[in-house]
Amino acid sequence: MNDKAIQAQDLHKNFGDIRAVQGVSFDVCAGEIFSLLGPNGAGKSTIISMLSCLLEPVQGDARVMGHSIKSEQMAVKAAIGVVPQEIALYEDLSARENLNFWGKMYGLRGAALKQRVDEVIEVIGLTERQKGRVSKFSGGMKRRLNIGIALLHRPRVLILDEPTVGIDPQTRRNILDSIKELNQRGMAVLYTTHYMEEAQELSDHIAIMDHGKIIASGTHDELVELVGELDRIDLVINTESERVMAQWQAAKGVHQITAENGKITLLVDDSNVVLPRLFESASREGARITSVEIQEPNLEAVFLHLTGRALRD
Amino acid sequence: MKVFDIALKDLLRALRNTFFLAFGLVFPLLMAGIFHFAFGGLGDDGGVPQVRIQFASLDETGPEYGHFSAGEMLFQLLDSEELADLLQVTPSLDIESARAAVDNQEADVAVIVPAGFTAAVFDPDGRASIELYQDPTLMLGPAIVGDIVSSFVDTFAGSKITAGLAYDLIAEQGAAATEETLQDVSSRYAHWAIELKKEAGANSLIEFRSPSGDDKPAGGAVSMVALVMAGMMVFYVFFTGAASAQSILQEEEDGTLSRLFTTPTPQSTILGGKFISIFVLLVFQVVVLLAVSSLFFEIAWGDPLPVALATLGLVVVAASFGIFITSLLKDTRQTGIVYGGVMTVAGMIGMSSVFTGGASGPMDTVSLIVPQGWGVLAWRLLLEGGGLSDVLFPVAVTLALGVGFFVIGVLKFKKRFA
Repeated sequence: MNDKAIQAQDLHKNFGDIRAVQGVSFDVCAGEIFSLLGPNGAGKSTIISMLSCLLEPVQGDARVMGHSIKSEQMAVKAAIGVVPQEIALYEDLSARENLNFWGKMYGLRGAALKQRVDEVIEVIGLTERQKGRVSKFSGGMKRRLNIGIALLHRPRVLILDEPTVGIDPQTRRNILDSIKELNQRGMAVLYTTHYMEEAQELSDHIAIMDHGKIIASGTHDELVELVGELDRIDLVINTESERVMAQWQAAKGVHQITAENGKITLLVDDSNVVLPRLFESASREGARITSVEIQEPNLEAVFLHLTGRALRD
Repeated sequence: MKVFDIALKDLLRALRNTFFLAFGLVFPLLMAGIFHFAFGGLGDDGGVPQVRIQFASLDETGPEYGHFSAGEMLFQLLDSEELADLLQVTPSLDIESARAAVDNQEADVAVIVPAGFTAAVFDPDGRASIELYQDPTLMLGPAIVGDIVSSFVDTFAGSKITAGLAYDLIAEQGAAATEETLQDVSSRYAHWAIELKKEAGANSLIEFRSPSGDDKPAGGAVSMVALVMAGMMVFYVFFTGAASAQSILQEEEDGTLSRLFTTPTPQSTILGGKFISIFVLLVFQVVVLLAVSSLFFEIAWGDPLPVALATLGLVVVAASFGIFITSLLKDTRQTGIVYGGVMTVAGMIGMSSVFTGGASGPMDTVSLIVPQGWGVLAWRLLLEGGGLSDVLFPVAVTLALGVGFFVIGVLKFKKRFA
């Protein structure tokens, strides 16, 4: 038995002239949470679609629980549970009717189906509302049901495509806790997100993506080491001044500086030492710093370090 | 079987959809109901209501006319057994009471035959006018009576010409043509012409028949309500077919179709299940419409086997046309144009023969350029008393069209989701 739940090798996918995925390779071990972290358009969802057999790679292949996504699609589909980014439910059916239907699509029947539907309803906390029409549900309840459907057939691999987009903090907390719990039961999880905090909290392994490529991969600590012990300072000044920016760029201890949407981000050796120098330079040029935020090294800083851009929505 | 699970799910969703209930069941029945009440209401055969006639005749006859009375002849025609379903004739003692009956809405029309009507018939230069005194709020009944009376008068005009011609021919032969001979020719011609018209059914307005029945020959006129119901059924069944097929696009946009494709379910099973649901839904719709219209509008659709065949043809072509037309669309935003435009226009063209009252005409031919027209034709033939052999051809055409639309639609969907 292979201990690799997913083995992706040199995956490529183009949409016309757009090269959405370019030579992506990674492994997800059994019982591991693996996150694909990157901005919108990085190619995360395209990879999920290929692993779910919705799209065929133009080059490369992937094996899910040992089955090729190109030649053994039914076996791959039986092994995975997919939680799409958008809520994909029949709103005019009840929660239970939805689960019954999707359970049948995964091959469950009779008593086994009923038992499993009962279990999932309890896991996602919809026991009281199981007969209610989904159209009457809150966004959080729909999200939970959306995930519950993917759990019906006890998949070996759970694939979640940005499941927390556009939801309230409480529901997000519930979803993240559920994923951890499922993982503790031995399920391999492939998770895509553009929220650095989620990847940091959940993942055993993180691959950072940009422009269809994995630009860095490893554990959280391994990735942070890529930027060394650099601190990150986010500043806002009351005037746009190229001279101030030039002075800060040249200041001792400053490694990188970027400006985006009125906010200036610097990667520095030690913020306690560098920050007074920044205030002094700004003052000399007649500018005033109106906001300061200091962060310890994190994945955001890694992305900034690797791409020169901030990891934004 | 997953294919039936998918079909069942779609059916459940459709039956919970107010759009289907409104457009699929309520609207066609409502439209037919409006016609039903407009043309006579509940309780009769759904055809044109009986016209109440007050008949007053001042006509006279005598031995010089062989005791023949044209006024009496008109009364016998209006009061004949053939017209009993259509006309209710009451003799009136005088003109005033006949008119008063109309004024009091006790009669729809008064037919007043003037004095000397028979004499005018026999006199080559004679003139007399029959008066029709009608309720001004009524249109159809008085129009029918007017048509019958005009036809009757035309017959006598013909008899005068015939008698004149006979007189000339006899004179040319050197024989003596007497006044009695002339009257005899005229009278016999009038009788002959009226009987001929009765036998030939030449006056279509006076030969109303029930929608179907053992004694109703094929090709006769049918109840307007039944025709409208058939037209509405075809129109809305096509509409439902397209709206049901739209669920494929809707599921694509909602993400549930993609999600289905991530389950271990073959694509052919998924699309097959959706197609089955469309067919079953349309069968349900047609059966309900037939049953309800039969119950409330007393429409006799015909024998079970040809009705089943016509249902099959209609369902196959409507479902397939829906699948075909939907396969051409990119998304549900385009469905408004298609349903509001293409489906409505095609439906109206297909139904155009309904508004000719079932009579043959150019609209019959025009209606056959759209699949709806073939569906209407099959049902119209059934309503006219047609049997299995009569509906075979239009049903065969609908099935052939259905297969064609289905194959194209399926191929396009398979390509789309490949």
